Order: sequence, then structure tokens, then C-alpha cells
Amino acid sequence: MKKVLAVILALTVVLGLAACAKTAAPAASTAASASAAASTSTAASASASAAASGDLTGTKDFKVAMICDSSISDGGWGAACYNAMVDACKRSGWSYEVTDSIDQSAYYESIAAYCDLGYNLIYAPGNQYTDAVLQAAEEYPDIAFALLNGAEDTPGKATNKNVSSLLPNAQQIGWIAGALAGLMTKSNTIAFIGGMELDTTLGKYKGYTEAAQFVNKDVKVLDPVYAGSFSATDKGIEFAKAMIDQGADVFFGDASAVDSGARQAIDEANKASGSVKVFDIGQPADLLGQNECVICSQVTDNSSLLTISMQAVEDGKFGGETIYGTLQNGVLSAGKMSDLVPADVQAKYLDYIDQMTKDTFMK
Amino acid sequence: MSFAANLILASVRMAVPLLFIALAELYSERAGMVNIGLEGLAAIGSLVGFLVCFVTGSAWLGILAGALVGVAVNMIYAFATITLCANQIVYGMAINIFAPALASFIYRVYFGTGSELSQITLMNGIGIPGLKDIPFLGDLLFNQTPMVYLAYLLVIVTVIYFGKTRSGLNFKSVGEHPKAAATLGIPVTKIKYVSCVLCGALAGVGGAYLTTCYANTYTEGNVAGRGFIALAAVIFGRWTGGGILLACLFFGFCDALQIRLQVANFGLPYQFFQMIPYIATVVVLSLIGAKKAGPRAGGQPYRREER
Repeated sequence: MKKVLAVILALTVVLGLAACAKTAAPAASTAASASAAASTSTAASASASAAASGDLTGTKDFKVAMICDSSISDGGWGAACYNAMVDACKRSGWSYEVTDSIDQSAYYESIAAYCDLGYNLIYAPGNQYTDAVLQAAEEYPDIAFALLNGAEDTPGKATNKNVSSLLPNAQQIGWIAGALAGLMTKSNTIAFIGGMELDTTLGKYKGYTEAAQFVNKDVKVLDPVYAGSFSATDKGIEFAKAMIDQGADVFFGDASAVDSGARQAIDEANKASGSVKVFDIGQPADLLGQNECVICSQVTDNSSLLTISMQAVEDGKFGGETIYGTLQNGVLSAGKMSDLVPADVQAKYLDYIDQMTKDTFMK
Repeated sequence: MSFAANLILASVRMAVPLLFIALAELYSERAGMVNIGLEGLAAIGSLVGFLVCFVTGSAWLGILAGALVGVAVNMIYAFATITLCANQIVYGMAINIFAPALASFIYRVYFGTGSELSQITLMNGIGIPGLKDIPFLGDLLFNQTPMVYLAYLLVIVTVIYFGKTRSGLNFKSVGEHPKAAATLGIPVTKIKYVSCVLCGALAGVGGAYLTTCYANTYTEGNVAGRGFIALAAVIFGRWTGGGILLACLFFGFCDALQIRLQVANFGLPYQFFQMIPYIATVVVLSLIGAKKAGPRAGGQPYRREER
């Protein structure tokens, strides 16, 4: 009797997991090392997501699937990429599905599961999916793969020419934040917090430094720090506290939920000092108003890049190219500014943004 | 404030949630219940604590809800391992997979997938008049949230309970030799269940602390391995309240140190600093040695009729 009860209890936990979990289902199926099981549980977890995210049915007979290693409710990168897909699908009339919070070991299995289910486009938002995408692209020549933040040479590596990199210009992202940071700093010390040392993160840091030092020759940019994770809010708090101790008074980051921890610490420091003297520049959505310290945001409209990919799939012209996201084509922009940015600084900053758009900045 | 003072303050901040979770494991293991499901218990405690605080505006209710949900989820483990005598490691692992996934599901159903994280008002700190103005020590010991005082108090209570009270000795005897304890009339099964209630409550509080006293947002994965570090802290602390306090402070110190050193920038690659907590763990483990000092009946099911 006890054994029967134990089995029932175990089944309850496992079935509850399959029904509820987006996090664990793909991992669990990978552990089972059975691709058929992986397909089933990935689909199950995607269905769980469907329940949480509303209407997924498009007007056309095209569908896109997104995989993501972070959560789509992280208020940062995962959420921005997911919402970009939702927007692009609404615009293009496509259906969509998502599997998030997956382990690295489940990247390929999750992609393959969606390929087997007949999805037209696989959307992988991050450089870290490159190997899994290239492997799947070789095995599924009729399916299109869009790799957000993919390297410029990745499409060329796909033998079936069915991979495109969607590449927001990291240098320009850094410029957009750096120019404002350089103008707003009073201590002439600014900071940057990264999640992982990715190529795109380094590119953003480089652009941030260049622009800040161009608009303000006296600016010192603290070396980038890395939380080693995109969800460690507590590390964001501790990094920001330590960097404020080092004199930093403007922050920018590329670390998703870690950034929200940093913003909390900045708000606390401002509250303790009685006035808002330390600022943060948000990304990748417009975060003005989320925290008192946010003075502006660097906004990336990934949905435009994805819409271009969807159109290419519909036209049968997808693949083998890098689609850039820049200030020039409107994918990148500066968000709204807070009243904490003085009018003259706002005017100067908008002038710099104009120069960046016209490609005359730092020239 | 100096580098050292800030470092120690950061160490304490990072050690407190760990301390709650490690004490949870101590109470569990002292009754022979090796519960590796702390990560899951803290994760669900973290979410429910956040949710209740978000809805009611009360961090205290959040903490209470975190404790209750921790107990509720841990009862799955308790029933399976005590009543059904199932394997403790397997059910601990099941909790680790099940509870964070449930937390993530609940969060998404309630908050959706917006590009902004919902925020709550954290529990206010309470400074003890007079004492809080002592340089450095005032901030460290007397100007914290009530939960930090509660954590210190719990350590003291734990030390006294296991070392000086008959009830505590009975509790420990269940983890050492349950059959001998039973012959003395000690209610083994009841104590094992009580240990699971305490474990669930404290681990849930540890998780809820993260979202009601530390970070004002909830993110999936915010427990960040603390459930497993807490297991190590119990071993480092040699299954004693005082030892666990030192172990948690040590882990908190190592993490705070790597963060502060990264920021201070000594011209070394940041990976070097990120290695510090792991290197320190290996070094301390080798110094402490592998000799088992824990409860002898840890992890073993108790069957009353079995010889």
C-alpha cells in the first residue's frame, strides 16, 4: 500500500511539473535522454506558456517559436525579446510559441522539437544559441532560423543558408547610453554592470566608454563587472553599492534582472542622501518611471528585426544574411528623458543622438 | 566608510538569507531528515512572500506566507519520506524541480510578461536607539531589519535548544538512533514531522526574506543556489548553530569579497575574483576534513517494526 501511495505521490509531482513547469520540463526530458519525450514535454511546456500568454493564433498559416534560457517574465532581456516576438506576430499575422528558462543542454532538443512540429521560423535571442541553431539548421534545411545578436559570420557557416543573424549595433547602443552618462555625471565616474562577458556586452561597454569620454573628457569609466548571471538581483544590489562607494553616479548595464537590483540600490542611496544624485540609464525597453533613478533608456525595437525576418520567410527569401539594427533604420533609439535631466543637457544630448543617426558622431 | 567596513556589512546582508535556510536544514538533519529540497522550498517561499507583500503591502505577512507555503510544500517530502519511507534524496530533488517551476508558473499567471518587474516596499530597518550610533558596529548589529535580529536570535535559541534542553536532546536522539529513542518513549515519527515543519517554515522564510527584505522584485532563479550552499554550510558548521552562523558569514564574506574586488579593479581578470567563493570552499573543506560529524541516522527511513 505504501509503495502504491509513493508511486501516486511521485506521479502527482511529475504531472504537476509537466503541467506547470516551463523551467523544468525541457530539462527533465533532457535528463531522460529521449528525443521523443523531449518533443512532448517541450510542447507541453510551450502549451503552459500559451495558457499564460494569451492568444497565440495568427491570421496566416505561419508560425514562429522562440527558445530562451532566461525567463520571459524577467523584466529584462527575456521579456523584451518575447514581447518583440508578440509584437512582430501581431503585425505579421503569425502564430507563436515559446519555451523559456531552458538549460544549455536543452537548447538543441527544444529547437528540434519545434522543427518537428512544423514551425516556419525558430527565433533564438542570443549569441549563446549559435551552435545549437547551426546544428538544427543543418538537419532541418526547410526551416528558417533567426539568431538575435548572432555574429556577422554565423549565417555564412550554415550550409543550407537558412540562418540569419539579427544584430542590433552594440556600439551604437553603448553610444546612446554613454553620451547621456557623460553629460549627466557630476563625479566624472560612471559604471557599467554586465551579466556575462558576451561579445555584444563588450561592444556595448566599448561604445558606452567612447561616447562618455567624447562628450566629457574628464570621465572615468569603471571597469565592467559581471554578475555571472542575468537573474541575480542581489548581485546587482551589491555591485551598485560598491560602485557608488567608488564614486560612480551614472549606471548603465546589460544584465537584465541584475540591473533591476542595481536600480534598487541606487534608489536607496538617493533616498539616504535626500536627493536624486545617482542615475541609471535603462535598457532595452523604455523604463522611465519604473525607478526614480532612471533618467532615460536605450530602446531596442527587436520586433522590427523579427518582422523583416518574417517577411523574408513569407517571400521565400530568408537566410544567409545579417540584418542590422541601428539608429538609422529605427531599431535603436533613445527613450523619453526624465525631468532630472536639465533642459540644456537634453538639448545637447538630442544633438548627439542626431549626429549618431547621421553618422557624424565622433567624426 | 572604509573598504573593510563596507565589505563586512555586505557579507552580513548576503549571509542572512543563507542562515535561515541553513538553520532549516539543521533542524531537519538533526531528526535524521536529509532534505536537499531547500532550493525549492526557498523558491516557493520567495514567490509567495513577494506576492502576499505585493497584494497586502505588508512584508510581515509576506514572511508569514513564505513560512506557511514552505511548510505546505515540505509536507509532500515529509509524508513521502516519513510515512511512506521513500528515499529522502529523491524527494528532496523532486521538491527542487517542482517548487521553483510552480513559483514561476504562479508568477507568470499573476504578473504576465511585461518589460517591467513589479516592485514592493521592503521591510523597514529598525535601529536600536543609542546602540545604532556606535561607529561601524552600530550599523552592523543594531541598525538592521527585524529579520536580521530574528536570525541572530534563532542561532542563540538553536544552540541552547540542542545543547541545554531535554527536548533538544530528544530531538537529536531521533537523528542519531531512532530505535533507541523510541525505546525511551520518544515519539520518533512526531519529531520527524516537527522537524519537517520547522525546515519548511525556515526555508520558506529564507526565501521570503530575499523578496521582502533584500531585493524589492521577484525574478525566477533569485534563490541562486542558496539551498545548496546552505547544505554545505550545515556540514561546515558541523551541525551546530554557532558553526552554521560562522559558515554562512564565511560564504557571505567570500561572495561580497569577489564583488568588491571586481569593482576595486586590481588589474586582474574578473574571472579570478569570481573563483574566490569556490576556491575558499575547497580550501575550508580540506581543512575541516571529511570526518562525518552529522547525525548517524541521517537519510535513513525509520520503520518502527523493523529489527
